[in-house]
Amino acid sequence: MEQLWSGLVEAISLIAHRDGELWDVTSRTIVVSGAATLLAMVVGVPVGYILARGHFRGRTLVLGLVNTGMGMPPVVVGLFVWLMLVRSGPFGSFELIYTKRAMVIAQFLIAAPMVVGFTSAAVQSLPEDLPDLLTVLGAGRLRTLWLLSREAHLGLLSAIMAGFGAVVSEVGASMTVGGNLQHSTRVLTTDIVTETGRGNIDRAIALGIILLAMTFLVNLLLTAVQQRTVRRRGG
Amino acid sequence: MNVTVEDLVFQRGRREVLSIPRLSFAPGRVTVLLGPNGSGKSTLLRLISGLDQQSGGTVKFDGSELGRRERTRLIAYAFQSAVFVAGTVRENMDLALRLRGVPVSEREPRISEAALACGIVHLLDRNAGHISGGEAQRANLARALALRAPLTLLDEPLSGLDTSGRRQLLHALPGILREFTATAVVVTHDREEAIRLADNLVILAEGSVRADGPKGEILSHPPDPECAELLGFAFIETGEGPFAVAPGALRTGNSGVCFALRVETVTNVGSHTDISGWIGATPVTVPSTGPVPVPGETVVVSADPRDVVRFRSE
Repeated sequence: MEQLWSGLVEAISLIAHRDGELWDVTSRTIVVSGAATLLAMVVGVPVGYILARGHFRGRTLVLGLVNTGMGMPPVVVGLFVWLMLVRSGPFGSFELIYTKRAMVIAQFLIAAPMVVGFTSAAVQSLPEDLPDLLTVLGAGRLRTLWLLSREAHLGLLSAIMAGFGAVVSEVGASMTVGGNLQHSTRVLTTDIVTETGRGNIDRAIALGIILLAMTFLVNLLLTAVQQRTVRRRGG
Repeated sequence: MNVTVEDLVFQRGRREVLSIPRLSFAPGRVTVLLGPNGSGKSTLLRLISGLDQQSGGTVKFDGSELGRRERTRLIAYAFQSAVFVAGTVRENMDLALRLRGVPVSEREPRISEAALACGIVHLLDRNAGHISGGEAQRANLARALALRAPLTLLDEPLSGLDTSGRRQLLHALPGILREFTATAVVVTHDREEAIRLADNLVILAEGSVRADGPKGEILSHPPDPECAELLGFAFIETGEGPFAVAPGALRTGNSGVCFALRVETVTNVGSHTDISGWIGATPVTVPSTGPVPVPGETVVVSADPRDVVRFRSE
């Protein structure tokens, strides 16, 4: 308990003194996880929509794979991406291994199934005739997708929260493909592992508290948007 | 707008759901598609609108085959189940007009006119997700009518309404259709709705057209027993063969084609008496203002020969 308290004091001290390395690691965490979540949304929302509304052979199999992907251990994803990007791997020539881009790719693969799964569930919960209605009213494909996303945005916000929550908190994939290089690929989670290994428990706790606070703030923001909509719909 | 379908076939898997060699919807008229559930009425509307793609054949608009986007601009379509996006009824109607590219200045007058005709002015600023089923059905209809499209497709526009709401709208709908639609195709399984709304009548059963023509012709000469049954004709087996008697045609007395009615119950409904009983094996109810028979008695009832159809036994 005493250690937790001293960790909290350390966290406040780090923030108050604008610790350079802390801001470096925190901003990198936001950039990497934010980019991965954004990419997952761009790809995952249309795919989730197609899975929800499409009628094609193998749809159930794909949905099953997506649902499996939602529970995929990040370290396994990291291993797969490492095998692809390592110099001797099929994409080794791109020289992405141990870079932030490699981390974004790994985190994208972790977040995408969540975004696809949540989007698919949200779109399936909409009235069945709604896409047809928008079509006969004259909305094109993109506009229909936009209007349906607006209708399903409570579910889509849940998809962002789940996707961002999953990638910002994972350590295995970032460590494997990023290498935890100081000033380059170190993020909050890998930094916590490093500081714990070094015996800097206070600093590790401080980083943990900052990670939690950051995640909480992002989710609070998204929840506020979500609940504002719920209140408006209720009115 | 003249809509013609030719050699139209629609299959689900290997099952043929609809097969129509030729059918034309006359411009400026209300054509009612009447048929039991599963007869292919709604499927035909979806094929006309382009929401579903036919397995074979053509759908032509004023002689031209059109793509789905082109059709969309010409068609207003009210589904059987009223569906709305989040927002008020007004916002939903406005979205429909906006998607059709109607200028802002025209939208509000169009919304008001359609809302007034459908009796939903008081609902315009209500959340569309919070109105009752009957109100939603009216709003659904108003949204389609506000588009004032060359072709209006209405799928069971009176379903979900309570008895009095249905009666009121059924009374007003012929006038509304005249005012807001050019060519209209209305789907129903209810003969009363079909008779009240139709200029032309198309009877569908098991995916094929059984009758097609002006309402009066089909009502007086249903082409087969199945059509007659859909139109509410009573089938009466006598020694002379089967007769189909038009709904409401039987009266007490012996003028016309006569039948012997074995009385079972007599009900005073105020303005007249309903005599219910059996002609052979067929249950019938005949209104009467004359002497009241007693249960068990046999009375003579008759129908105008023009209201009686005889089908040849197969």
